[in-house]
Amino acid sequence: MKKSDDEKKNQKRSHDPGRRSFLKGVSIAGAGAAVVDKLWIETEAREKKTAEPQIVSGSVKIVLDINGIKRSVEVEPRTTLLNTLRNHLDPALTGSKLVCDMGTCGACTVLLDGKPAYSCMVLAVDAVNRKITTVEGLGSPDNLNAVQAAFVQHDALMCGFCTPGFVTTISAYLKKNPNPSLAEVREACKGNFCRCGTYPRVFEAALAAAKSNKKV
Amino acid sequence: MQQQQQQQSQQPAPKKKKIRVPRSVNGIEQMVEIEVDDVNGPGWGPNDKHVLLNHPMTRVDGPQKVSGAAKYTYDQHPKNMLYGRILRCPHAHARVVNLDTSGAEKIPGVAAVIKGPLSELRFAGAPVAAVAAKTPEIAGDALRAIVVKYEVLPHVVKANAAVAEGAPKVVEPSDEANLQKKASRGDLAKVEAAFGSADAIVEAEYISQRIHHTCLETHGLTVDYSGGDSATVYASTQGTFTIPGDAAKALELPESAVTSVVQHMGGGFGSKFGIGIEGMLACKLSKQTKTPVKLMLTRYDEFVMAGNRSGSWQKLKGGVKNDGTLVAFQARQYRLGGVGQGSQAGQPYIYAAGESYREIFALHTNEDSSIAMRAPGHPQASFAIESLMDELAYKIKMDPVAFRKKNLTDKAYHRQLDRGAQAIGWDKRNPIAGGNPGPFKRGMGCAVGTWGGGGNNQCKVDVTISRDGSVLVAVGTQDLGTGTRTFTRAIVAEEFGLQLADIKEEIGNSKLGGANQSGGSTTAASLSPSVKDGAIKARLAFSERVAPLLNNAKPEEITFSGGNVSGGGKTLTWKQACATLPAAGVTARGEWRQDLQATGIHGAAFAEVEVDVETGHIKPIKMVHVQDGGLPLNRLALESQINGGMIQSLGQALWEGRVMDADLGMQVNPHFGDYKLPGSLEIPEMIPIIDDGDTREVVIGIAEGCIIPSLGAVVNAVFNACGVRVRELPITPDRILMGLKNQS
Ligand code: FES
Ligand code: FES
Repeated sequence: MKKSDDEKKNQKRSHDPGRRSFLKGVSIAGAGAAVVDKLWIETEAREKKTAEPQIVSGSVKIVLDINGIKRSVEVEPRTTLLNTLRNHLDPALTGSKLVCDMGTCGACTVLLDGKPAYSCMVLAVDAVNRKITTVEGLGSPDNLNAVQAAFVQHDALMCGFCTPGFVTTISAYLKKNPNPSLAEVREACKGNFCRCGTYPRVFEAALAAAKSNKKV
Repeated sequence: MQQQQQQQSQQPAPKKKKIRVPRSVNGIEQMVEIEVDDVNGPGWGPNDKHVLLNHPMTRVDGPQKVSGAAKYTYDQHPKNMLYGRILRCPHAHARVVNLDTSGAEKIPGVAAVIKGPLSELRFAGAPVAAVAAKTPEIAGDALRAIVVKYEVLPHVVKANAAVAEGAPKVVEPSDEANLQKKASRGDLAKVEAAFGSADAIVEAEYISQRIHHTCLETHGLTVDYSGGDSATVYASTQGTFTIPGDAAKALELPESAVTSVVQHMGGGFGSKFGIGIEGMLACKLSKQTKTPVKLMLTRYDEFVMAGNRSGSWQKLKGGVKNDGTLVAFQARQYRLGGVGQGSQAGQPYIYAAGESYREIFALHTNEDSSIAMRAPGHPQASFAIESLMDELAYKIKMDPVAFRKKNLTDKAYHRQLDRGAQAIGWDKRNPIAGGNPGPFKRGMGCAVGTWGGGGNNQCKVDVTISRDGSVLVAVGTQDLGTGTRTFTRAIVAEEFGLQLADIKEEIGNSKLGGANQSGGSTTAASLSPSVKDGAIKARLAFSERVAPLLNNAKPEEITFSGGNVSGGGKTLTWKQACATLPAAGVTARGEWRQDLQATGIHGAAFAEVEVDVETGHIKPIKMVHVQDGGLPLNRLALESQINGGMIQSLGQALWEGRVMDADLGMQVNPHFGDYKLPGSLEIPEMIPIIDDGDTREVVIGIAEGCIIPSLGAVVNAVFNACGVRVRELPITPDRILMGLKNQS
């Protein structure tokens, strides 16, 4: 197999951790080193299983439960949930934004079984069998949820690139704590950055959403 | 000359008036007076008589943005699209000896690998090569498979090392010094004499760090080109019309064959004009593969090459009389712009300082060029001069607010300083620095700033009223999150007596009417006069049409309000009136009118902080910013923008800053993990105040104005709190502790 030979060469040359074959004893490692159990791997390499760990590349077919709809998609195991939503679904869901790709900004926040998660830090294959909710699943322009409506009302957005992340984080938080204090709202949003400087109004909007009788 | 004057007196001379307009020299705005025709037409009317403008309006694209429906450049996905990535040089100064791309080309899914445009790389992060691949993951593989052999050359990245003897030379030609004098002003002999008459003198050096724009949407393009004879380029840009020319060149197409689209964009702050190197590479990859390419910078790319505010190193000296009058001032100003020029407003900035002298230099280091950032050159100058003013005020034991009023002739500042002082509770401030008891010491500071904010005549706005009653405003301009869409609608709605929801707007497309780029707070003052002019013309054309139904009322006497059209004693609903229009409706093109806008804004900022003198930790407590700007188009959006200015200033004052490793010549914090942005836990109570004492009936942009003075206000508050004057930004806990140690 020419491809895996090439990749072995690459692997020796490169210091990139994504290429290290650190998955000793695991028979399948994607090019991005994802461990995929319970999944059917569509590669010939799997057939030729040997005792030695191998580097193979290829993609997997998975079914994701996104905003209440089962969506099947084919991705490399190393593909993040964020990139899967944005790049591989057709039609794509681009509400979750790619800003840092390393779990520091919150713009990619989605809900996994109702809990906020940085979708740039979750592999799509690990989101199988979980309920994924993106900002699009919380409300639409004509039917905003309480947090989204309050964001518009209180001008809690400027360029809007951070906004889906904040909306998602706060929507989940208000479910957990329907009557938060300002300090609690600040704490809840500490994993989200806004460069335009909307924070004061994000806080206002979150507190107003908690008081509104709209659905979160 | 004589003849001309005679001619003029024979013909009815067009009325002239003098206005002050900003001229930009190296990114620094300077105000000059010019004479223009005194155009007369319906104006905005008194600021307090509007029904939509000067009120809080929620933004019309809000529902799209909060639900993820708004499509940014990063969200575009033309069919078969490839993903572009850029390989960057890891050395501060190097030449590429060999570039082996064969490994990358062999990877399945890689469509193209191209060389970067530079031969000598003068900073770490310079582009070396670019790839296009089926997925971003594969594009990453391709970058890792490219083998580059560099000849590493000597570098210098620290300003103080760059001026040392024998320092490696940074810019071309190679005998060019790292320190280059750019300008000087004043009479040094007179200044020296004036210092002789001063009662108190302060001499100090102030250093402001390089900070990053950190637009959340990185720079980049999505090029929709598949080998035909036209292309659509989606760009994250502040200038829709800055894209097609350069994109066409890279795509080898006629300029008219390229359309740029900017529906929504995720932050620019001055850093996004033109297609940039990344855009050029994206177009070349698309051209070569005959396939659409999206090339958005990674966060790392964005830090190392896509923008930073130039640093500054300023040696200032000021002399005052005991009554607070500034009598003498001298400055030596270094602009730290890496391989670029940097920017810094000339000192003593807005103060009348008796006799003054300044010299301005560019000081080069092996870092990427600084890029214009919200109010280029002003926060740096404001920070240093406001620190010095504060030091002088303390030295002669004068209240800092009173000291500023003494030295500022413009009464707008006096009004704003009083208003801000009241809002922050200045009367509770302890005049003795560090004088409050206990380890948590509170203090307050203030500062002031100015900007231009006037417009130019590039906006052409088409206003169309259709027979079914719909209204469309179309212009190619862009909405950066500043609320362009909303005020555009509001101006037209107000003119027609309609609501925001009755108007539709179409913007962000280079095939629509021309528009200026959004830089230097020029958008509101460029666009709104054209929108207003278009709306007035459309109203008059419409009035002429409906006059027969209104007892032949005179078109200019027909009134529009509350969804009704009235005249000649009769009233029609808007829809009834529109039904009389021909199938094509009525369209009017609005042009810019200089009498509807102006330039020259003022701002005053106050801050209260709490310093823990045991740890050096600073907690911001409260910030106030008072901003004028003529007619406030949308109070809600303006207050948001003022908040944003304060928060970005706060970030520069206390946390942000590029950190360079002197030996490696690389940035060591090119990601949000180590580059500290203001976050939700640090935001103080914020009070944005629109200064309604400004009753000018004109539109002026304020975006830049509200980022300037807060920096000085925070720095001065820290001093008032704990008695430590930190002259180098950001004010980190170690600098506080060092200052406290040196005191005792
Ligand atoms: S993009 Fe996921 S946290 Fe920033
Ligand atoms: S609104 Fe622009 S980053 Fe938050």
